[in-house]
Amino acid sequence: MNKLTSTVAAVAATIAFAASAQAADYPAQPIEIIVPYAAGGGTDLSMRVLAEALQKQLAGATVVVRNVPGGGGSIGTGQSLSARPDGYTLGTGAQGPITLLPHYGATTYAIDDTDFLQLIARNLWVVLACKDAPFQTFDAFLDHAGANPGTVLIGNSGAGGANHLSIEAFGRASDTSYEHVPFGGASEALTACAGGHIDAVTATPAEARPHIESGAVTPLFVMEAERIADLPDVPTATEKGIDFTWSSWKGVIAPKGLPEDVRSTLVAALSAAVQDPDFVARMQDMGETVDTRDGAAYEEMARKDSQMAEEIIRDLGMYGMNK
Amino acid sequence: MSLIADLGLGFSTALSLTNLFYCFLGALVGTLIGVLPGLGPVATIAMLLPLTFGLDPVTALIMLAGIFYGAQYGSSTTAILINLPGEASSVVTALDGYKMARQGQAGKALATAALGSFFAGSVATLIIATMGPLLAGVALRFGPAEYFSLMVLGLIASVAMASGSVVKALAMIVIGIMLGLVGQDMYTGAARLTFGQPQLLDGMEFVAIAMGLFGLAEICQNLEDESARASSVGRVGSLMLTREDFRRIARPVLRGTGIGSLLGILPGGGATIGAFAAYVLEKRVSKTPERFGNGAIEGVAAPESANNAGAQTSFIPLLTLGIPANATMAMMVGALILHGVTPGPNIISTEPTLFWGLIASMWIGNLMLVVLNLPLIGIWVKLLSVPYRMLFPLIVALCCVGVYTVSNSTFDVMLMVGFGILGYLFMKLGCEPTPLLLGLVLGPMLEENLRRAMLTGRGDPSVFVTRPISAVLLGLAVLCLVAMLLPKVRKTREVAFEE
Repeated sequence: MNKLTSTVAAVAATIAFAASAQAADYPAQPIEIIVPYAAGGGTDLSMRVLAEALQKQLAGATVVVRNVPGGGGSIGTGQSLSARPDGYTLGTGAQGPITLLPHYGATTYAIDDTDFLQLIARNLWVVLACKDAPFQTFDAFLDHAGANPGTVLIGNSGAGGANHLSIEAFGRASDTSYEHVPFGGASEALTACAGGHIDAVTATPAEARPHIESGAVTPLFVMEAERIADLPDVPTATEKGIDFTWSSWKGVIAPKGLPEDVRSTLVAALSAAVQDPDFVARMQDMGETVDTRDGAAYEEMARKDSQMAEEIIRDLGMYGMNK
Repeated sequence: MSLIADLGLGFSTALSLTNLFYCFLGALVGTLIGVLPGLGPVATIAMLLPLTFGLDPVTALIMLAGIFYGAQYGSSTTAILINLPGEASSVVTALDGYKMARQGQAGKALATAALGSFFAGSVATLIIATMGPLLAGVALRFGPAEYFSLMVLGLIASVAMASGSVVKALAMIVIGIMLGLVGQDMYTGAARLTFGQPQLLDGMEFVAIAMGLFGLAEICQNLEDESARASSVGRVGSLMLTREDFRRIARPVLRGTGIGSLLGILPGGGATIGAFAAYVLEKRVSKTPERFGNGAIEGVAAPESANNAGAQTSFIPLLTLGIPANATMAMMVGALILHGVTPGPNIISTEPTLFWGLIASMWIGNLMLVVLNLPLIGIWVKLLSVPYRMLFPLIVALCCVGVYTVSNSTFDVMLMVGFGILGYLFMKLGCEPTPLLLGLVLGPMLEENLRRAMLTGRGDPSVFVTRPISAVLLGLAVLCLVAMLLPKVRKTREVAFEE
């Protein structure tokens, strides 16, 4: 046996030993949650708040957040899903990287590589009429869009992103079509909307509230099945007879193959963490809608979204375009 | 009178003992991480965020703002001393600042940066206080057509900045724009020029390119040239500004402050363009434009004032529209949201303590920075007398760590090395990298807004001239172009007559 192989064997043995030892006294080292976006965004902040809450549930553990931005979230998500499944590297399971990006073909992973542990929150969406738009109510909006197919300017945060696809899906459900105007982010699109440079835009209720209060924009409808507490006077598309809902979401995921006892420790700690009143209060302060579905329900929702997105993406001719 | 009442509220908030302490702490931490680029302001603020949970939102924001301008100040320090601009806004400072340092005037350059920044910061604070609510509306008037015209003006003006050949400067801008196109196309979602590298989908990292083209290329150059290495040792020169220096920088500081404050109000790249624009203007109005790029003190004073004024006024789009000017400010939006404050047009009336407290603390923070940094200049300058053979490995190491921490990516470190080699080649060819960086920043915005203007204008190209703000900006760009070409025309004519 030459020196190299013996070293490799020794290292392998150590790793195997470490892995078996880990399961019993998990967590014995810091747990890292990879956030696939730059620091400071909504998902990043939610995960940081969760890291604090999770730390309280796992006695003596340190939970840190590491930002691995790039590729629209696919780099960091790919890294977390290809990490060693020992429970020390967790990932952020956000809608875009998990259910949309694999269909465009530029990811190193698929939805099947994901172990869904715990849903944390959903982002609800509202469609707003911009300053000087020729419609101010849902009915007027739909009439106008019906009479002028493909001309209503709707701002989004980039082609192929969630709020572009959501409007495409709405158009299919309501038999209308739109001109999509991409922006560098939700606040840029919202600013253009408040300045009257486009006709409508999609935003979260929290982002939209200051602009609604200033009177620059008017909410048209929310993309939920039921009216929401934040905007009780705003109708849903569903109540207007259009079979359409959309929301984005985020949760904690892991690579497949976690040791059974590590997984159950983690799942228990996570489900306690998301019920922590401090956690819930802080998330609500940030305008997040806490949604504590367990791993199975989380996976079911993700797979349903993935299927719906695939249909639209194929329809738009964008399937596999970045392969 | 309400101005005095508002500022009074601001100062009474900012001058509380707790807030003063956190303001100082932020400025100190910011300066340190700015000077040691191993840990960028984004990573620092991200780590400190959980610590601010227990603080009052005003206090938290005051501390983070302190880190922000402290870091910006620190990044100018490294730009001057070792040609290592940590942020886009200090790229321009490196042009003349580093030359000054090589001529033994590092102390003067640093003092100019400190005083210019402080003056600009004070004026910008007053501008926000008097016109903040009004200014918030300006950004709303800027649609896609206006932004496109602004970018055209910025790019054309940047050609004027190059001290050498116009053709080379144009070539560098075009290369910069092309590099800026790398990544996912916002309008179709398709990957462009990524060659199957998912790391390139979000585009190339600006910091990696800037550090490669400036920092690493400079090191290659210095290692090659023995006299360059020797000259960096020992010659420290005077730290203080003479009366003559003050006379020279007075106008550039004033103009820089004006341009920076104005452009900072525009969401997005406004604050960055300010530094470039101020430099170009100084070079244009100067009677001795040939001194620019060779250690002109005006070339430090103007962009430093502009970038600090811009940093200050860019809090307006940050607070009222939630649009950050750079990654550090994006973290501050995060901090706001974390404390349950959503940026919005009415923030001044709904959160007066927060708004005015922050404005007042900016001024106090700037004062602290001057007090903190003037005595430190002597120490920073001594760095230059460290033998180069010991200094350069340290710079290389700091560059690598600094670039890695931006997005925890080794790919970016390799990118920096690649651009270091490219930067060395550019030096050999006599091509200046600054226009390239400007093309890299402005190019994507140019394309984005052109296409957006075509979409919202429903395919009608006349939107660029029928919208008044856009027409004025394009007119300025044409003037700029004519002014640039005229001397050439004259010269070639003279040559023709001689023959």
